[in-house]
Amino acid sequence: MSILKLVATRILLSLLTLLLVSLIIFFVLEILPGDVASRILGRDATPETLNTLREKLGLYDPAVLRYWHWLSHFVTGNFGQSLVSSRAVTEILAPRVFNTVLLSLYAFLLYLPLTVLPAVIQAIRRDRPADHALSVVTLVLLSMPDFLLATILLFLFVVVFRWFPAISLVDPTSTALDYLWAMTLPALTLAIVMAVYAVRMLRDNLIEVLDSDYIRMAELKGLSARRVLFRHALPNALVPTLNVTALNLAYLVGGVVVVEKVFSYPGFGSLLVDSLQLRDLPVIEATVMIAALVYVGANLLADIASVLLNPRLRTA
Amino acid sequence: MVAIDRAPAKPRRRYRNLWRQTPQSFRIGLIILLLHLILAVTGPFWAPYGFSQMGTGIPLSGMTWKHPFGVDQLGRDVFSRVVHGAHIVILLSLSGTALGLVVGAILGLLSGYIGGWFDNALQRLLEALISIPFLVLALIAIASAGPQLSGNPILVVAVVALVYAPRIARMARAAAIDIATRDYVTMARLRGESAWSVMRRELLPNATSVLLVEFALRAGYAPVLIGSLGFLGFGLRPPTPEWGLMISENRALIIITPITVLGPGLALASLVVGLNLFTEGLARILGRTVRLGNQ
Repeated sequence: MSILKLVATRILLSLLTLLLVSLIIFFVLEILPGDVASRILGRDATPETLNTLREKLGLYDPAVLRYWHWLSHFVTGNFGQSLVSSRAVTEILAPRVFNTVLLSLYAFLLYLPLTVLPAVIQAIRRDRPADHALSVVTLVLLSMPDFLLATILLFLFVVVFRWFPAISLVDPTSTALDYLWAMTLPALTLAIVMAVYAVRMLRDNLIEVLDSDYIRMAELKGLSARRVLFRHALPNALVPTLNVTALNLAYLVGGVVVVEKVFSYPGFGSLLVDSLQLRDLPVIEATVMIAALVYVGANLLADIASVLLNPRLRTA
Repeated sequence: MVAIDRAPAKPRRRYRNLWRQTPQSFRIGLIILLLHLILAVTGPFWAPYGFSQMGTGIPLSGMTWKHPFGVDQLGRDVFSRVVHGAHIVILLSLSGTALGLVVGAILGLLSGYIGGWFDNALQRLLEALISIPFLVLALIAIASAGPQLSGNPILVVAVVALVYAPRIARMARAAAIDIATRDYVTMARLRGESAWSVMRRELLPNATSVLLVEFALRAGYAPVLIGSLGFLGFGLRPPTPEWGLMISENRALIIITPITVLGPGLALASLVVGLNLFTEGLARILGRTVRLGNQ
C-alpha cells in the first residue's frame, strides 16, 4: 500500500513538473522578439494580410488563453503547424524522433560493454598499472566536451582509418546495414560519454563488493574466480549504477543535440538546433516538451526502481 | 652521548609538508590550473600574433615551429588565438558559475531553512528547470534573448548562471536542511534573527565546504557548456577566440590540418581535466564525496 502511494505521489509530482516546464517554455518563447505573423509573411507582408494571419493564428488573444489552447492541443497529440514549412509538426517530428530513438538504442547497446569491461578490468587489477591507466583515460574522456570527442572520433575513423562515411546521411535506397554503419560513430560517441560516468562508479562498487564477506565465502567454497566475479559480485555491484544509467538516459536527450549536429545525423537534436535558428516556435515547443518528458520519465523510473530495489526506502 | 636540541624546522619545510599531505589529484589539478591562469593573465602580452590578425602565414600550412597549432583558413595563427582565448574562457566560466552560485546558494539555503509552501513552490520551479536538459535550456534562453543580445558575453554568463543556479540550489537546500536542525541555528532563531540573517551568519559559514565543492564542480563544466554553445553557433561570435568556436570553425579543415582542431581541443580538455582533478582533491580534503559528471 505504502509503495503504491509513494509511486502515485512521484507520478503526480512528475506531471506537475511537466506542467511547469510547459508554462516556462511557452512564456519564455512568447517573449521572443518579433511578431510571428510578420516572420511568416516576410517581405510579402501588407497590413491587411498581417491582420488576417494574426487573427487566424489567434495572436490577438491573451497569452493565457493561447497557452490553454496550445496545451490542450498538445495533450491530445496535436502539436500544431510549423511556421516555416506549414507542415504539421507531428509529421516533421515523427521521423526525427524515430531516428534518435534508433540511435539511442544503438548507443545503449554499445554502452553496456563499454561500462562493464573497463570497470571489471580495473576492479580485478586494483591499484596496478592497468587500473591507473584506465583511471586516467576515463578522467580525460570525462573532461572532454562531447563535440570534441565526436570530432576526434570522426577524424580517427573517417580520415585516418577510412572505415566510416563522414556524414550519416542515408538515402531510401540504402539497406539496413548501411544505416547501422552510418549510425555507428554517433552512437559510439554517445556510448563513450555515457559509459565514462558509469565506469568510475561501477569500479568503486565492484571493489567494495569484492571486499565483502559473501564474496570471501564464495571464494572459500572453491568457486572459480570467473564465477565469483560474474555471478556473485557483478550483479550486486550493478544495482547502484542503475541510477546513473537513468541519469545517462537523461543526458542522452541533451547529448544528441551536439552529437547529431557534428555528424549531420537527421534526428531530434539537430531538428531542435535548426528550428531554433529558424525560430519555428511550434517545432521548438514540441521538441523541448518531448525532451523534458523523457528526462522526467527517466528520473521517475530511476526513483521507482530504487524504491523497489531497496526495502529500506519502501516505508519512507 | 649528549642530547642535542634540534633546531625547529624551517617554516618553508612546514609548507612543504602541508603540500605533501594534500591528495595527488589536488596537486596535479592545481598545477594545471595555475598554468592555465598564467596563460590567461600573461598570454595577451606575449602571444606571437593578434587574435584576429590575418596573413600570419600560409593558410592551412600545418604544424611548424613558427605556428605550433597551424594556420587557419583566414591565415590566422591558431596558437596565438588559443593563447588570447584563455582569459575569455576562464573569465566567462568563473563569472557565470559564481553568479549561479550566489543565486543558487541564496535560494537553496533560504528554501531549506524556511521550508513550508515557499520551499515547496520553489522546489517545483527548480525541478522544472532541471528537467529541461541543460544544453536545451541554454539554447532556448539564448534564442529568447533575441538577435540584439546574441553573441554578448554577458548573455553567456547569464545563461551559465541560469543553468547552474537550480542545480546548486538543490545542493544548498539539502545542506541547509541538515544544518537547520543544529542547536546554534535554534539559538539564533530564538534570539529573533530574521531568516536572511540566519542564512548569512549561521547557514552560509557552515555550508561553505558543500558550496565550495559544488562551485569547483560546476566551474569545471562551464568551459564545456560555453564551448558547446559556441560550437553550435549560439555562443560568442567570431572572431572571438573562444575555444569551442575555434573547434567548430576549423572542423572542416581537420582533414588537411588536424592540429588546428586538436590545438584548441587540447587547451579546452586540459583546462577541464585540471578543474576536475582539483575538484576531486578539494572534495577529499574537505571530507566530501563528489561524483564528477555533467549531470
